[in-house]
Amino acid sequence: MACLLVAVTLSTAQAADRALRMAYDIGDIATLDPHRGSSHVDRAIADMLFNGLVRVPPGQANISTVEPDLAESWEVGDGGKRWVFHLRHGVMFHPWKDHPAYEMTADDVVFSLEKAMDPKTSAYASEYDGFTVKALDRYTVEIDTAQPVSETLFLAKVMNYAGGFIVSKKAYEDLGPDGFRLHPVGTGPFMFKDYVPKERISFVANERYFRGKPKLPGVELLFMPDVSARGIGLRTGELDLIQGSSEESWVKLMRSYPGISVKVFGPGSASILFLNTKSKPLDDIRVRQAIAYALSRQAVVAAIGAETATPLYAPFPGEYLPGGLTTEEVRAKGLDYPTDIAKAKALLAEAGYPDGISLDVVHTELAVMLRPMENIQAQLRKAGINLNLKVVDHPTFHSLIRKDASQIVHYMAWRPNADVFLTRFYDSSSDITAGSKPDTNFSHYSGVDGLIAEAKATTDARKQAELWKRASVQILEDLPAIPVFQGRVAMGVRDTVDLGYDLDANLAFFIPITETVYLSD
Amino acid sequence: MSGRRSGGARLLASPSALIGLAGIAAIVLLAALAPLLPLSDPLAQQPYGTLAGPSLASWLGTDNQGRDVLSRVIFGAQTSLLISLVSIGLAMVLGTLLGVVAGYYRGYAEVAIMRVADSLMAFPSLILGVAIMAILGSGTEKVILCLTIVMTPRFVRIAYGSAMAVRVKEYIEAAQAVSAPFHRILAVHIVPNIFSEILVVAILWIGTAIQVEASLSFIGIGVSPPTPTWGNMIKSGLDYLPIAPWMALAPSAAIFLTIVFFNLVGDSIRDVVDPRHYG
Amino acid sequence: MLELIIRRTLNVIPICLVVFTIVFCLMRIAPGDPATAMLGDYASAEAVQSLRQEMGLDRPLWSQYLDSLRGLLHGDLGRSLSSGAPVSDQIASALPETLALAASSLAIGLLLGVPLGIVTAVRRGRPVDHAGRLFSLSGLSIPSFVLGILLMLLFAIDVPIFPAIGGGRSGDLSDQLLHLALPSLTLGLIMMAYVTRVMRTSMLNVLQEDYIRTARSKGIGELRVVLRHALPNCLVPLVSLCAINVIVLISSSVMVEIIFSRPGLGRLLISAMRQRDYVSLQSVLVVYAGIVILVNMTADLLYGVVNPRIRSR
Repeated sequence: MACLLVAVTLSTAQAADRALRMAYDIGDIATLDPHRGSSHVDRAIADMLFNGLVRVPPGQANISTVEPDLAESWEVGDGGKRWVFHLRHGVMFHPWKDHPAYEMTADDVVFSLEKAMDPKTSAYASEYDGFTVKALDRYTVEIDTAQPVSETLFLAKVMNYAGGFIVSKKAYEDLGPDGFRLHPVGTGPFMFKDYVPKERISFVANERYFRGKPKLPGVELLFMPDVSARGIGLRTGELDLIQGSSEESWVKLMRSYPGISVKVFGPGSASILFLNTKSKPLDDIRVRQAIAYALSRQAVVAAIGAETATPLYAPFPGEYLPGGLTTEEVRAKGLDYPTDIAKAKALLAEAGYPDGISLDVVHTELAVMLRPMENIQAQLRKAGINLNLKVVDHPTFHSLIRKDASQIVHYMAWRPNADVFLTRFYDSSSDITAGSKPDTNFSHYSGVDGLIAEAKATTDARKQAELWKRASVQILEDLPAIPVFQGRVAMGVRDTVDLGYDLDANLAFFIPITETVYLSD
Repeated sequence: MSGRRSGGARLLASPSALIGLAGIAAIVLLAALAPLLPLSDPLAQQPYGTLAGPSLASWLGTDNQGRDVLSRVIFGAQTSLLISLVSIGLAMVLGTLLGVVAGYYRGYAEVAIMRVADSLMAFPSLILGVAIMAILGSGTEKVILCLTIVMTPRFVRIAYGSAMAVRVKEYIEAAQAVSAPFHRILAVHIVPNIFSEILVVAILWIGTAIQVEASLSFIGIGVSPPTPTWGNMIKSGLDYLPIAPWMALAPSAAIFLTIVFFNLVGDSIRDVVDPRHYG
Repeated sequence: MLELIIRRTLNVIPICLVVFTIVFCLMRIAPGDPATAMLGDYASAEAVQSLRQEMGLDRPLWSQYLDSLRGLLHGDLGRSLSSGAPVSDQIASALPETLALAASSLAIGLLLGVPLGIVTAVRRGRPVDHAGRLFSLSGLSIPSFVLGILLMLLFAIDVPIFPAIGGGRSGDLSDQLLHLALPSLTLGLIMMAYVTRVMRTSMLNVLQEDYIRTARSKGIGELRVVLRHALPNCLVPLVSLCAINVIVLISSSVMVEIIFSRPGLGRLLISAMRQRDYVSLQSVLVVYAGIVILVNMTADLLYGVVNPRIRSR
């Protein structure tokens, strides 16, 4: 009875009838073109304005939960080389400037995907190598691929993420690339209203959104790179939702205030130490093993907080990505390198370094990354492994690590699927100096090239996941990198905000604002 | 320059100068002796004793990472004083030299030095500091370099003006007549005449230097954590202000008192040197 | 007078050019790539490269320099490297916020500081004098961001009277004034400390002058002596102090804007710096330099107004 009463009062809570105000840790947007944006705020905005052919439901991150979005259904033929999507009827694009809303059709889908495939108009073009796209009729689109592609990998390219967003062809042609970049037009629950550089961006509800009229009249997103200012704004009620700090002390502090809750969700980002296998003494596997044995993930995680960080044993976590290893699987294979200082010292001695070693490490000053690294530094010192940390600001860090200036690169990031994780960090084509497409293979590792290529060409999801797992095992045996922890995302939210969906995870550092989000007084 | 000795005596007779001098001495001593004092390691993280209030074990409590705030304030004094004293010292020497050269030699040297100095002076000190730190990147020695660049033009201006004024005096003309070398004219005639003015300004600007350093660290582009400075301590304390006010208040009080002491001494010296000042 | 303005303006042009060149060169020496800074750790090398092209960073330096110089001369400050929005728009929206803050702080400082300075001078050595001196010493010594934090804690968090973040809704004047309250009080109190001190010192000097003694001996009331005879002679030092301190104020406004998340020039400066948005950064720096030069010029002209002897020279 009491429950019912509570439910009734909740559901009748007065709507605030004002825009939701949220603040994120960023100085400014990079672009509002969804095929270019890659910061978490660019993604948060694209998520409100655009749809993909399919989507991972809000609050989820696993590709296996995928459901229809702009496409009502799809079928695959020709052994994974021919994909046909049937579009939803009556979906309207946002009106822009003095142009009225118009119906989204196959034309727009073909235009969008071709735009996403073109390196001149997209940052994700390489994901679509060998793709062609054509309209079969007003509501049917066919995509052909040169090689067979598994459903896991294919749907990730046409979902509501990065290159998969469908933009308005007419608006893009009308506004031009530079105009569209500052005035995006899509089909999503919110429409672009205005943008004040380095300050904020505002949106209004798209009353004709195909899933129904949004409960919020609008959304205002403020760029506030300062976590204390965001916290103060949340406490005074000037903000409804903020990006937090993933330190547990912050989470506890925010929770101590009445009317504020903190949502902690994954996957967040994987903290990994990449060891330069081409530099002495890290070219010796025993030295790399010694580092792994000297490290206590538990101690690192204890210093950050158990809610916001969990120990990571696999190159990418199976808990979030199909094809990743879970902690149990790593343990079962005996590749978890449990903390053992004596063993670490013995391995160093065996490798010819009885007096220990000294490594040069360039590190960012970002506290989320630096604090764990200092903890790691203190731990390794006990085993005679001395890290000379050179702390620089974040942009400089990014420049230096790509110039091979650091023997150990501490990197924290997330990639949307196993293939991208493996290709970007472990395939020789991504080698920072020698690769054909230099990216983030800081270890100069090439031991799983074959497995990565084989998995890419496999359409059978189970077989593909098996190959990815084999690659992960190989990586843990060769140790070009040592996974440390998985850092989760913490967001502060006022209790007056009701998301209307369960937030378990999200692909990037933001809370999706959908048509179901509701703000009460 | 009437009665320099009596000036010193008058200085010591002023109670505010005495308070200021004693305060500065105490802070400098604490900072210098920090490694010898029974303080806990300012960088040691104790994950189980975070945000603990002031107690006998840690007089000013601990921060969000379980580090002792008192120890960090004292080690922070080391950083802040080192940066401000060294950079003001460097700027004073460099600026005086450049200013004197410009004022004494005139010609191209004057145009070049004064143009650059004027251009740099067109920026408020903190804003110039931010621009320079953008280029240098963070770090103690970089902040010193930055503050030296920010402060030097200000000394150049003063030394230039004084040198111009001194230049026309008879004793310089006399020295020139016997063609004394420049360094001799500089050492015997110019520097002693402008020294007291430069010194007052230097002492008053130590306070400015401390403020700018703290501001840069507060913005997050000065001395990077974990090295404690008052600025970055206040910054991290801001998040915890309602539940752990000591985190931000202790370093705030430290900055405030230090600047108060320097201002007391600077003002008193100025009262002695120039009783009719109005700045 | 007009001639003076023109001569001064002409003098300023080479300084502006040197300032711009210094700023442009320095910004390009800075390490770290704006494209990487913008996109963050999630970006692929491909995304960074494509953004670099879009930003025009792959063009030679001299062509970037000539372009920005040409733009500057035409009043076109270029487009922000981060979002592609015109920089002049950003400055047009940020500058009024900073000027409003500076002007209101100066007003608070003068309105409260001048009377307090006079009172402490007239009541020299009394308790009110000691309190006033202690106050100015504190005001001169407290960093603006410390005072800002204290005021925010007191009047926005513990007793929520004023808003703590932002500049208020555009177009809603009362909301904007409400948002201006704490920031301008922060800087105003510091300004007041400077003003009080200068007023006190110059008033003390003036009160010892012979003509004041003469006036007193004629039996003119003390209040009249102070306001009619002494005060006008304190204005010269006050104007020179204001010139110096408006510059200090502009400097401190950066910190206050950060604390109160005000969308002014200071926040623009800091976020442009963090993002390595050189184009915005160089424009903001040039604008700051312009303000300082303008303030100094105005002060020079004001001297002429408050002190006719200078004008005749």
